[in-house]
Amino acid sequence: MSSRAAGLLALVATVILVAFHLLERSIRERLERFGLNTVVVRETVVSESRELTVFAQAPDRLAPLASQGQKLRVRQLFVRGTTEWQNSLVVFTYPPEAFDDLAPFMSEETPLICFSETLPADALVRVIVNRQSKMAIIRRPQGWLRPLITEDMLFAPQGMWPDEERIGYIETTILQRRADALPVSHIVDAVNNFYAIERRSPPQVQSALPLIRELEKLKERQVQWRNLLAGILGLAVALVYGSIAVLEFRQNLFVTALLRSFGARRRYLFWRHLLENGLLANTAAICAVMILASLHKPLFGTLGFPGTVLNFSGDNPYTGAEILSILVWVNVGAFLSSIPILIGLRQPVGATLN
Amino acid sequence: MLSRTDVKPAQENSSTIQCREVCFRYFRQQPWIIDHFTYEFHPGITLIKGASGCGKSTLLRLMAGYLRPCSGLIFTPTGGMPGDPEFQRHDVGYVFQHLNLLPLATVTRNLTLAASLAGLDAEQTASQSAKWLRLLGIEEFAHRLPNSLSGGQQQRAAIARALVKEPLVLLLDEPTSGLDDLNTRVITRALHGYVTGPRICVISSHDSRLESSAHEVLDFNRFLPLERHLEALV
Repeated sequence: MSSRAAGLLALVATVILVAFHLLERSIRERLERFGLNTVVVRETVVSESRELTVFAQAPDRLAPLASQGQKLRVRQLFVRGTTEWQNSLVVFTYPPEAFDDLAPFMSEETPLICFSETLPADALVRVIVNRQSKMAIIRRPQGWLRPLITEDMLFAPQGMWPDEERIGYIETTILQRRADALPVSHIVDAVNNFYAIERRSPPQVQSALPLIRELEKLKERQVQWRNLLAGILGLAVALVYGSIAVLEFRQNLFVTALLRSFGARRRYLFWRHLLENGLLANTAAICAVMILASLHKPLFGTLGFPGTVLNFSGDNPYTGAEILSILVWVNVGAFLSSIPILIGLRQPVGATLN
Repeated sequence: MLSRTDVKPAQENSSTIQCREVCFRYFRQQPWIIDHFTYEFHPGITLIKGASGCGKSTLLRLMAGYLRPCSGLIFTPTGGMPGDPEFQRHDVGYVFQHLNLLPLATVTRNLTLAASLAGLDAEQTASQSAKWLRLLGIEEFAHRLPNSLSGGQQQRAAIARALVKEPLVLLLDEPTSGLDDLNTRVITRALHGYVTGPRICVISSHDSRLESSAHEVLDFNRFLPLERHLEALV
């Protein structure tokens, strides 16, 4: 009964731990896709904006971020384009200073780049934006631009669709932080503070920080659950083995008392138990060592351990001294397991048998 | 509580079991269960009858050496003490109230174990086992486990185990409790056949059907305190 409960508990524990593992893997994948050092800042600029009407080119407030890593500033227009195969496209325009960053993706035929995971890579495709048809080269999103590309996107030079840009756009800045730059949290704080000082509506700042926090929280919860489950399982196992030990003790008490009632001597019964325990434990230990020694190479080889472990050129776990130490402990255990018999033998037969 | 003195003079190395001023209690806080009990059990069948808790079974265990008296002495017919393993191996057969047959051993195995511990060789063990299984009418159940037998059959198997070494002293604790008349007759007949010559059989029981089979009856109720007389009568 209790062993079944322990099995059920082990199953529940496994399910919970697997669920945690899957959740953690999903967060890690999202984190990997977005990048630990990536910060994306989005600010909406609409036609009423003073900047858009007065200044043809809005100033780049986030220009200082360039000192912290690689930075790309693009505009996401409020229109959508389509490919000749009717795939919907998010339309971005890029300024001349982004040429360097986007050059690896461009082709000689066209400055338009269509980032897509599904469309045939490196093929030219006809794209239509606001009834204007252009040719674009299809590229797979790669490198530090990847976090920005969440669906099929079209990147075109600024000024290609001036009317659409005049309606408004989302100023999007992606920063790939350098390893020696300020921490991501500092950069995020700096951007937010900067907008607050300028009394501008706060931009949408996207970074890996929430994901990291989520991951840390998950890990913390995982540790708590693991401890709890380990405690419960330990208790269940202790109960199972405790019950077995109690039953074993009572059975031995009964048998030894019965044998004593037939005149068997205490000393004989104790030595018989001790020898039996010792024989069983030593046989089991020696067999276990022999089996492990014979399976050592295939077992550890399959698990991918290095050759030094396989060929015993490092520590040899099967030396005489090691085995002797194991056998010493096995015999100590065999002796300790005979103590309950000793206790039972001290009780009068008449107190055990009715 | 038992309190009995100078019933018969006790002698060492006689063919009797002698109890001299025996006192016993299980715990110090308890009153004496057996208080200065002196008695001599002679060859033949002695029936100890009395109410529950008056100390009948305890006295049997003391005589078998399974308990040690708090004070006083018990001498076996061989002149030794009942706690002597040699006496327990060869000279005493005991039938427990709860029988205590080994549940995972067949009836034959239960008998063989007792016989081999008594020092009987394989041939003697086989012949003795067959004899007592036949006399007690359970030879057809010889290879069955005790749990698969009826109460009466188990009782007879336990008696067979006690008799297999043909002990000098046979002690039976409630051997017929819960048994029908037929089973009781089978057991008493077997006991009558066995208890001859110097053999001593002491039966602790409140079964009045056994009174006619006993050579001597020891009524423990008379040693009970006054307040428990009514309980004993009921």
